[in-house]
Amino acid sequence: MMMVVTVQAQVTVSRNFLKKGFAVTGFGGDASVAGQVAGVLKNDLHLSGYFEIKPAAEADYVQQGNVRVQGGMDYVDCMVTLKASNKVILSKTYQGSAQDLRRVTHQITDDIVQAIMNQRGIARTKIAFVLSHGNAKELAVMDYDGYNARQVTYDKSISVRPRWSPDGHKIIYTSYLQTFPDVLEADLYTHQRRRVAGYPGLNTGAEFSPDGQTIALTLSKDGNPALYTMNAGGGGLLRLTHTKGAASSPTWSPDGSEIAYVSDDQGSPQVYVIGRNGGEPQRLTRSPSYNTEPNWSHPPAGSDLKPMLAVTSRVGGKFQIGIYDGSGGVVPKVADGADNEDPSWAPDGRHLVFAKTANWRSRLYLLDVVTGDQVELPSIEGGASEPAWGPGL
Amino acid sequence: MRSKFFSTAIIVALIGTLNLTTGCAWWHKHFGPKTNQTAGGPPPLPGTDTGIQMGERGPMTGGGDHKTFAAQTVYFDYDSAKIKPSEVSKVEAVASALKSGSQNIVVEGHTDERGTAEYNRALGERRAQAAREELIHLGVAASRITTISYGKERPVDPTHDDTAWSRNRRAEFVISQ
Repeated sequence: MMMVVTVQAQVTVSRNFLKKGFAVTGFGGDASVAGQVAGVLKNDLHLSGYFEIKPAAEADYVQQGNVRVQGGMDYVDCMVTLKASNKVILSKTYQGSAQDLRRVTHQITDDIVQAIMNQRGIARTKIAFVLSHGNAKELAVMDYDGYNARQVTYDKSISVRPRWSPDGHKIIYTSYLQTFPDVLEADLYTHQRRRVAGYPGLNTGAEFSPDGQTIALTLSKDGNPALYTMNAGGGGLLRLTHTKGAASSPTWSPDGSEIAYVSDDQGSPQVYVIGRNGGEPQRLTRSPSYNTEPNWSHPPAGSDLKPMLAVTSRVGGKFQIGIYDGSGGVVPKVADGADNEDPSWAPDGRHLVFAKTANWRSRLYLLDVVTGDQVELPSIEGGASEPAWGPGL
Repeated sequence: MRSKFFSTAIIVALIGTLNLTTGCAWWHKHFGPKTNQTAGGPPPLPGTDTGIQMGERGPMTGGGDHKTFAAQTVYFDYDSAKIKPSEVSKVEAVASALKSGSQNIVVEGHTDERGTAEYNRALGERRAQAAREELIHLGVAASRITTISYGKERPVDPTHDDTAWSRNRRAEFVISQ
């Protein structure tokens, strides 16, 4: 059966993708609260990729507002007007406690993106990542803009390769807590953990299917590392690949019918795709000579973007983030002489997060694949790596 | 663009103050309901699985004896899991020692720091399995040998140069306890 991998490598900057001028005139009322909200709002709008912050005289859209502090709660009135017609596109009051101001402002941004662009925003999403802590690696979660980073594991072990459940409640990851590399699942809300896979050999690379019912993962219990699927709740183990080389790093297609993954069966690692029930794999990448860590975007319904397969390529000994071009090659997106690795798509299918290592220090960056803009996230002591962008709400 | 209201220093300080005792409380406050917890750490994993087939596990090594076979550590070429002819005698020495004893061993597979983390876990496992297969080929019972891939997480030499990298691309033979 012929598999059709629908991906888009080049994004033409059509009229839809030109940035709109947006003026944040700020908020009246308590200066400290107003300042915080305006600052986060400007950063969010900039990160969205849709807007360029401009003075009111030059902008297409103008924000005005007010903050009130009452009974221990902050109230933020926010109004956005389309200058050309004076049409009010957003007028709403938001509330939250003082600690919640960032979250409240992220909500404002998502509402603005929805109202003006008719797209789901990413301002309230989270990114899981690996935090280097001395000799240990622990999991942590932060807001998409790099703030509010919080540690999730305290195992003083090696916890790596996090992936989110589609409902955003759970993270599955690879842990050496019990000496051997196992796949564990941590529920961020119930605080429960369970072992998903603990077979002899390697258990790693676990990723939930888009509907959350199936987990794809890498196991070496039957020989060289191979690709398997299993039921998310346990059982139903099915082996997909049967090659001499190692298969690893699965990533699901948007409809969950296919899995792209890495195999070094023909020498150096390249990206392949296979049906979710197994069968004949199809090789995707042919050049450059080393392509790993594929991540398949799942743009939401109504998006202007098609699904894309981001990969890490090695060129001249350095690592680049690229997009599979649909015919064996990779279009480089981040190739700057540093080591850029482990792309993970945002739920908008437009942004991704990756790790850039320069001078042997690893930091997380966001990339807008439409504009090519890269943004460095606030640095994490010890280093941050292997990021995984969480689902939209 | 960074908000002027959250400096890098504050983020670093927040991470820096996380430790076992405050960290657990912090997680409870932000992520979950209050439960009875022993102070000073997250709850241990459940002792039994939730209906997931575990399969047979090899011996748990804990620390393991890395010293006895330290001289027999097998080294690999870049991107390769092939046991080079120059390394075979080391595996033969380990096989010989094992066949005249009854210890179980764990073969640890490692990579150098270059290369993506997850692919390196798979490559490390291929290296460990290559050494394991050679031991089996030389007559050691398969049930006595398990593998652990550490990918690039446990270098012997953290220096960022070719010498260190060639020392890190290795399979180590560890006697389990």
